[in-house]
Amino acid sequence: MDKVMKWYEKAGAESDVVCSTRIRLARNLKDYPFAAKNTIAQKKEIAEKVKEAVLSGSSLMKDTFSAIPLENMKQEELVSLVERHVVSPEFISNIEGREIILSHDESISIMVNEEDHIRIQVIREGLALHEAYEMADKIDTLLSERLTFAFDDQLGYLTHCPTNLGTGMRASLMLHLPVLTEFGAMQRLSGNLSKLGITIRGSYGEGTQVTGGMYQLSNRITLGLSEKEAIENLQSIANQLITEERNLRGKAADNLMMQDKISRSAGILKSAKMISNQECLNCLSYVRMGVAANLLTGINIEDVNDLWVSVQPATLLTKIGKDLTSQERDIERAKIVRSKCENVKE
Amino acid sequence: MICQECKEKNATVHIKTIVNGQLAEYYLCADCAKEKGYGNVFVNFENDFGNLLGGFLGGLSNPHQIERCEHCGSSFADITAKGKIGCAHCYDKFREELLPMIQRIHGEAKHKGKRPGGSALRIPEPNRQMVVSETGILDAKKLKLKKAIEEQDFERAAVLRDEIKEIEQNG
Repeated sequence: MDKVMKWYEKAGAESDVVCSTRIRLARNLKDYPFAAKNTIAQKKEIAEKVKEAVLSGSSLMKDTFSAIPLENMKQEELVSLVERHVVSPEFISNIEGREIILSHDESISIMVNEEDHIRIQVIREGLALHEAYEMADKIDTLLSERLTFAFDDQLGYLTHCPTNLGTGMRASLMLHLPVLTEFGAMQRLSGNLSKLGITIRGSYGEGTQVTGGMYQLSNRITLGLSEKEAIENLQSIANQLITEERNLRGKAADNLMMQDKISRSAGILKSAKMISNQECLNCLSYVRMGVAANLLTGINIEDVNDLWVSVQPATLLTKIGKDLTSQERDIERAKIVRSKCENVKE
Repeated sequence: MICQECKEKNATVHIKTIVNGQLAEYYLCADCAKEKGYGNVFVNFENDFGNLLGGFLGGLSNPHQIERCEHCGSSFADITAKGKIGCAHCYDKFREELLPMIQRIHGEAKHKGKRPGGSALRIPEPNRQMVVSETGILDAKKLKLKKAIEEQDFERAAVLRDEIKEIEQNG
């Protein structure tokens, strides 16, 4: 059988800086209390309704999606869902009454009973805000033909947390900004962005740490702006960051110290016998930059993106399929990285 | 419980995140949580005001005087304490109280954007006059529908689905 390509195995527009685009829509069913006030029985009812809307009878979506049974999953498989950005950390902290409905290429997920009853999420490789929104919009419209959402003329889609009111849309870009980080520009930028209703933070969302210069840029304001306006604002800020990062990379590419870091990182990834997640991501960050600047060949951006996901601890465990100590994990990680990087050349 | 960060104040915020492949849970005080970017949107706003009022009226308040949402039982104090709304009806019940906060979060309090119901996706193709063989068309359309779904072109699929339904009902 043909293997379906996962979104993180492909590269997209502006892929030297933008790894992926994500659109998330929050929706709640009109006739049920929000998550914190729901009983388990109510959660199960909601899950059944959503599953039926997506997967049953005449649904157009039934061949694209399947429900993933969470209760049979091991803890590392659950964490791996987070590392692949399919679900949020909050979602796996307590799976009772929760449901995940996933498209076969993992690019569209419908989380049921997370903070809101329904969260539609679409991920696309590279910079593809409009395309990703269009898909999320279609899924939302199809769901609304079969489910009644809580909506208010003044406040828009009603959500558990008032920060999501209105469009219920969070648009995010995963940006690789290693040189802006190296030049210490991120602190200043983050303050300025916040004034524009845009947030920048670690790559797994709220409060997560920044590793390898990977950031998540997203809109904060959801009320008073249409989906299109919010997306265009985000796009224009992203364009500025991309330009700034590229300018600095252009200068850095001639810098012997930067070249040295890129070459050494490639060397480590090609020859390490064991490597920690942190060191691996730092090296991958330099290699990603080196590939984008044509300083390295023998590996492409897609492979680096794919490695970025597959070296994460739980994804690694899920792939290997057995319990590993942290040292064994570092050995397995090095094996994967070595085989992917064996042809890397300057 | 004591805040895990400053180890001084009471922990009031519970955070779940992924660190190094493990689900990690933290209990933080409001200040440390804010510093780490996990602010409760209502903290330092109505909440303090509520406590102040609570101080004045402490001896007087009893459960019968507290206004609660008829659907989920949340009081306004419940909402501000958690920073989360109980149910869709709470937005109606406490609209006046909530509006200033919503305005503070978003700058505006008037929805612009998508509304549920009206689907802009269904524009039927006006080509039903050239009927040669209904079954042939039906099969062709079913094939197209399958292809559209495979390509995740739900817009086209929705049109085709409705056309198939129409042919099947009329035929």
